[in-house]
Amino acid sequence: MSYVKRINRKLSARFSGRVSAREHDRVLYLEGELDRWDDVVAAGRMAVNRKKYDGLVNDIHFTGDVIPPMRLPRVQDDSLDGATPDVLVIGGGIVGCAIARECAKYDMQILLVEKEHDIAMQTTSRNDGMVHPGIDLIPGQIKRYYNMRGNRMYDQICSELDVPFLRSGQYVCFQGRAMAIAAFFGQLYYKLLGPRVQYLSKHEFFRREPNMSPAITAALYYPDAGVVSPYGLALAYAENAVDNGAQVSLDTAVLGMTIEGDRIVSVRTNRGTIYPKVVINAAGVFSDDVARMAQDRFFSIHPRKGTNTILDHKASVRMRTIVSSYGTSDTRKRHTKGGGLVKTIDQNTLVGPDAVETYRKEDFSTEAQSVAFVFDRQRATDPALHIRDSITYFSGIRAATYEEDFVIRRGKWTKNIVHAAGIQSPGITAAPAIAVDVAKMAADVLSETREVKPNPAFNPIHKSIVHVNELDDAARDALIRENPDYGEIVCRCEQISRGEVIDALHRSIPCDTLDGVRRRVRPSGGRCQGAFCGPLVLQLIAQQTGKPVEQVGKSGPGGEILFGSIKEVQA
Amino acid sequence: MTQELYFDVTVIGAGPAGLAAALAANREGAKTLLIEREARLGGILKQCIHDGFGLVRYGEKLSGPEYAERFIEQLPKSNVQVWTLSFVNVIKRENNESILTVITREGMKQIRTRALIFATGCRERTSRQIGVHGRHTAGVLTAGTAQYYTNILGKLPTKRCMILGSGDIGLIMARRLTLEGAEVVGVYEAKPTPSGLTRNVSQCLWDFDIPLHVSKTVTRVFGDARLTAVEIASVDACMCPIAGTEEIIPCDALILSVGLIPENELAESIGVPLDAKTKGAVVDEHNETLLRGVYACGNALHVNDLVDYVSESGEIAGKAAANETCCSRGLVPVECDQSLLYVVPQRICRSLDEPERIFFFRSARDLDNATLTITKGEETLYSIKFAHLRPPEMERLPVQLTREQLDGNLPLRFHLEEQTNE
Repeated sequence: MSYVKRINRKLSARFSGRVSAREHDRVLYLEGELDRWDDVVAAGRMAVNRKKYDGLVNDIHFTGDVIPPMRLPRVQDDSLDGATPDVLVIGGGIVGCAIARECAKYDMQILLVEKEHDIAMQTTSRNDGMVHPGIDLIPGQIKRYYNMRGNRMYDQICSELDVPFLRSGQYVCFQGRAMAIAAFFGQLYYKLLGPRVQYLSKHEFFRREPNMSPAITAALYYPDAGVVSPYGLALAYAENAVDNGAQVSLDTAVLGMTIEGDRIVSVRTNRGTIYPKVVINAAGVFSDDVARMAQDRFFSIHPRKGTNTILDHKASVRMRTIVSSYGTSDTRKRHTKGGGLVKTIDQNTLVGPDAVETYRKEDFSTEAQSVAFVFDRQRATDPALHIRDSITYFSGIRAATYEEDFVIRRGKWTKNIVHAAGIQSPGITAAPAIAVDVAKMAADVLSETREVKPNPAFNPIHKSIVHVNELDDAARDALIRENPDYGEIVCRCEQISRGEVIDALHRSIPCDTLDGVRRRVRPSGGRCQGAFCGPLVLQLIAQQTGKPVEQVGKSGPGGEILFGSIKEVQA
Repeated sequence: MTQELYFDVTVIGAGPAGLAAALAANREGAKTLLIEREARLGGILKQCIHDGFGLVRYGEKLSGPEYAERFIEQLPKSNVQVWTLSFVNVIKRENNESILTVITREGMKQIRTRALIFATGCRERTSRQIGVHGRHTAGVLTAGTAQYYTNILGKLPTKRCMILGSGDIGLIMARRLTLEGAEVVGVYEAKPTPSGLTRNVSQCLWDFDIPLHVSKTVTRVFGDARLTAVEIASVDACMCPIAGTEEIIPCDALILSVGLIPENELAESIGVPLDAKTKGAVVDEHNETLLRGVYACGNALHVNDLVDYVSESGEIAGKAAANETCCSRGLVPVECDQSLLYVVPQRICRSLDEPERIFFFRSARDLDNATLTITKGEETLYSIKFAHLRPPEMERLPVQLTREQLDGNLPLRFHLEEQTNE
């Protein structure tokens, strides 16, 4: 019996005939109607088979609720109308930004469009910032290949782009005697798989991380794990791309495409129609929608939400690096690597994440129960964890395919698209390697019509904003004497100077929002959450950009903070 | 780095506590430095343009800036050195002296000081600390931030808002925003009674027909870029939301007045022991912490409701810091049971001959006809009756204690009891 027949029988039994499968050109399609989203996802999981098919497209109509449409920018103009870039990158997350930068190594004209008001606004800014050693991945997975390669690239790329990166290592802890023995044999298995690993006795583990749960009996140490600021890296990639000639257009959403034969000829946006020679799909949770527009849809995204909590520096001194406990991350069942407790690059402890399937691709709301759930689990590692030590929490959406793997390849049917799609964890780790390959694929597509040469003027070096409080006293003093703005502290919690805020407003990627400044230099990233510095930063943005304060927003248009002068505003 | 400068007394923070402390230290002849991180002196008083300040101290109703001015205008006539836009970065301790690195627009400066006074004030509890969930939009702000926008910038942060928490700043802002033409849909308080002063509830809410909803809290906020609605729910006795009581209220801002936290991160960095109840330093009646030569005063010590007491607290610290007052016979611990929220000071000197000691305390709940007793072991040293006590209203209590009463190692215990009518 064929696979389709078998799977149809199973689907029919499970969903009382409401769902069916068909195959076409090595793609499996699911059709039908279901009113529970969990069932829609369950059907996809039942049917997926990556050996037999290039992908699974889940077209089951969800009748339980209205799936919200993609949030669109407010602006409408023709600033890009008629543009003819060699390469159009759709999506300004870390993957899109890294691709734009790697593409700039070739003599190609690059345009990156991002529908949000800043780059790295969605999944890239909403994760734990771990550079994974590649623990839970299975040989043969695309994401494993890019994880291993990406991890090895981190030292060099972060040095070129001047982004702080700490190879802090990761502990996976085990509890009970039996598990300690299992851990010992586990390390041999992991060694075969690739990542460097070391078995630590209870004694040795507590020498390194003395405040963790006394129930821990052994740990595996992965020295190749690290932490980075994911949006810091994405920004550096984007700025370096722009410095090397790429164009970045924010507030720009792709609305449709015109396909002729097997090629995309034009891409319609809210800022005009673009005529690219190659299109790169780095659209994150919307990468299946972009694939649909390109008539190249052979995979589906089922969004999966995760919530992380950031602890105050004071509570963060309990641990030094990344610690998780075996059994808390549910990798198989929930498809998350679940960082556990991560000491971020900014030296805050991050607790999380969980994994919840959702049909809302941009639902960044948080839930009290998600935070409570994650804390409950992570107390296995550190029993002293307490929600009251939180300074903030946030949610992100993973762009998961049913194959639970990345899609890194040229189009299946459409010839001038390259997909960098379905990127979830370990996307941050993998991005540098993905970008190199995707840029090469884009150059290959382009070289079918013209010769593509390396860009001789490419400069890999990027300088980040100087974080004044990381300098030693003498260097800091010298800098302040050059520019007194570095001696005026605006954000008291994180010690950010007026000079750094001004720097953030004058970079290669424009920034004119409170959140934008926060992601670049961290004011309001501390325990007061901007209660003190928010108004100061707002005034600096207005002053530096020449806008009235009423037009300064939290994260972009529509999120303005002030309504106008007192006495003049009508309720 | 410039050469190290020496001061007898250095005060960090030029709000009402720091101003009073610096002036008091100066009056005692100490070489005094006042460090302020903002551009202007006065701390939070700068934005408190409502009146009611100074009733106790001056018998007048002043606005915040007027009250601050009474101190600021004395500075040019004094020998206090004042550094504004100056930020204390690191403190180190050496032989009971403190060495401060200060960041200024002129560069990094190093200071050695015999006595150090923390007058660092407090910060507001944020929406995240009380677990507000939903979308993280523009339009969720603390009452102090709303006050800055309205009173310093002259810009309205809302047209129609909800205020969560009935702390004094929230009540003041409810009135202020109403006066400026914004609509305040209501003040919501999770506790069964308001957290602010009775006079503020009456003058800010009742006089302007602003509804107060007690035993209700915010469970969720909605919106995309800007807040569009807030979900509230009734809470049970444990302050947990009761399912089924949710109600969604459209508004463009959620303004929080849910508590103040003394800012003691700098003090903690040099190991000043804090009181878990006040979140401020443990001090004796001179406001000296358990670290020699290190003092704390004002809202950094415990959150006051009247600025007059904040100034007094600064003066006590300033005077003692200048005079190197020390307790040669050691300290007696002062403790309270669960009938009180806290007592300050948490230690008193055994040795001093001044018989009057001043205590500040708050009751743990509303009490009528309550008796406060101070005991040591089995012995009752002092007792006094209060007609009404409410947690939002801090009490200032002068107590006469003799040297003999302070002998021995037993702590003084504060206890409150409601009189039953017989």
